[in-house]
Amino acid sequence: MPPLLRLILRRVFWVLPVALGVVTITFFAARVFAGDPTELYAPPDATDALRALIRIRLGLADPLWVQYIHYISALLRGDLGMSFSTNRPVLIDLWDRLPATLELGFTGLTIGILLGVPLGVIAAVNRERWPDFLVRGVTLGGMALPQFWIGLVLIWVFFVTLNWLPGPVGRLPVGIDPPSRLTGFMLIDTLAAGRPDLWFMALKQLALPAATLGLTTLAPIARVTRASMVEALQSDYIRTATAMGHTNRTVWFRHGLRNALLPVVTLIGGVAGHIFGGAVLLESIFGWPGLGQYALQAIDSSDFAALQGFVIYASLLYVLAFLVVDILYMLIDPRIRQ
Amino acid sequence: MKPLAPLEGLELAEAASAPGATIRTRRRLRLSWSMRIGLGILGVYVTVAMLSVFWTPYDPLAPGVGDSFLPPGQDFWLGTDRLGSDLLSRLMTGAQYDLGITLVAVAVALTLGTILGVIAGYYGGVVDVVLLRGVEMFQAFPGLLFAMLIVKAVGPGVLNIIVVMSFIGIPDYLRLARAEVQARRNWPYAEAARMVGNRAWQVAFLHLLPNSIGPVLAFTSINAAFVALITASLGFLGLGLSPNTPEWGNMIARGQDAVMTGEWWISFFPGLAILGMTGAFYLLGDAISDLTDPRRRR
Repeated sequence: MPPLLRLILRRVFWVLPVALGVVTITFFAARVFAGDPTELYAPPDATDALRALIRIRLGLADPLWVQYIHYISALLRGDLGMSFSTNRPVLIDLWDRLPATLELGFTGLTIGILLGVPLGVIAAVNRERWPDFLVRGVTLGGMALPQFWIGLVLIWVFFVTLNWLPGPVGRLPVGIDPPSRLTGFMLIDTLAAGRPDLWFMALKQLALPAATLGLTTLAPIARVTRASMVEALQSDYIRTATAMGHTNRTVWFRHGLRNALLPVVTLIGGVAGHIFGGAVLLESIFGWPGLGQYALQAIDSSDFAALQGFVIYASLLYVLAFLVVDILYMLIDPRIRQ
Repeated sequence: MKPLAPLEGLELAEAASAPGATIRTRRRLRLSWSMRIGLGILGVYVTVAMLSVFWTPYDPLAPGVGDSFLPPGQDFWLGTDRLGSDLLSRLMTGAQYDLGITLVAVAVALTLGTILGVIAGYYGGVVDVVLLRGVEMFQAFPGLLFAMLIVKAVGPGVLNIIVVMSFIGIPDYLRLARAEVQARRNWPYAEAARMVGNRAWQVAFLHLLPNSIGPVLAFTSINAAFVALITASLGFLGLGLSPNTPEWGNMIARGQDAVMTGEWWISFFPGLAILGMTGAFYLLGDAISDLTDPRRRR
């Protein structure tokens, strides 16, 4: 069996017990911690009979373990249950909101990688000189500041003060109808619908949240790239390459960066897992209708099925992110390939 | 770190003669700086937190000590918020919450996580598998969400937040300490300690733990920054503390609407306060890992 296939199979096999554990923890944690949703759906003057009826309708009347078995058996059929608050299947809700999170995540992660890796390299090759100190100072700030604060400051500067970019009202300005859903990605669907004006609006809406996400993402990426690159540049093969008369650029990028990439890839995998799991606070600040916002609402309204659905999604995504990292490892590092 | 000043000339002379020594000299000077800055900033925060117990310019909890939305100026250095409370006083008092919660939560997580990690790493077998798989499941659960759920359930309160934050931190310490101890479990000095009649727990905690603690301590500082940020996030969401509490995340949330109308200072300054504290933790973490990680000591 080719090693890549074996790796994937082994991972998929390991996902099952972890997934079952996560589902179980979520199920009981939600019921113990998130409160009784009956009160949220019952009128204040409800009789006990009405309350009992509501509990039956919400599926909360059975003993906990019966509810658990119902949930697991439905889950095995691919049914995540119904959301109390939207009254729709959780799977549909997640599917509706997924593109918003992915679009923001992809844009932010791309900004983070495209800026973070070069900044890290610049800092490493100029070690202990001003570019290094500058990069380290900026990235320290990017890691030490809360994301929601950076978002607020960007809103204040670019929307309130300069008025260059629109306010935090979601993916399109208020009152603008979205194009019909093709991929769910606003930047693709608007073009497919032949509406460049909408595309431009969507881009402007995306700019601030994506910049916030990009700023907080580039900081750890640049720091890890720098540290790993510094180590790589001190190694023997770099001295050899330099002695053989290669230009600085060849030495840095072909010999240095390629060998320094492994920790960076691991980090990006972890960061991606977090980002696509829904940046909860970021989405709530920018009114972004993604999965993070959904999870926040689910907690607020004790919406068990929705919360469980989100956590299953987020944890599977985390496992998936690390699977991708392992595959990239095999591609980058010939030692693992055998 | 001892001050290097008197030795500087000597070290530079050495640097000139020994190849590769230049980097070492410069590095030691720099790392002493990041440690000094980090400790210095934290010292200021601790001082402010303690001072605020006895004295703040105005009552931090009282509304209407000035007009609403006064910009930073002479009477109110950092301005006032919607209720007319003095922001500087609130910011100073906030240090008690953010710094206090962070330090206690990290100390608890460090202690419990390391003990469990040493046990898992030294004894191995079933204990190890159960502990490790257990924390793996909790780690797959998004951290902030978990904190939100529990805080929502157990209700607001400083103690509750501390418990939640320590709980979230334990898995990381457990894994780190476990990995370090497991790697050293069969090293000659551990064998020797066993051979002269030490009990298992003595070998694990008196011989292996002190040699394994370096990476754990470096992580502690980084973890403190993380805990501080999550604490602020909970405050920002209005979970965990009563609405008028001058916790920094809470203060940022309170100024969020005012930002939209141009009163930036209410949310702005608490963010700077968080930046200083978490930044100091990161600097300190860097300095400690430079000291303890031989690969980075070059």
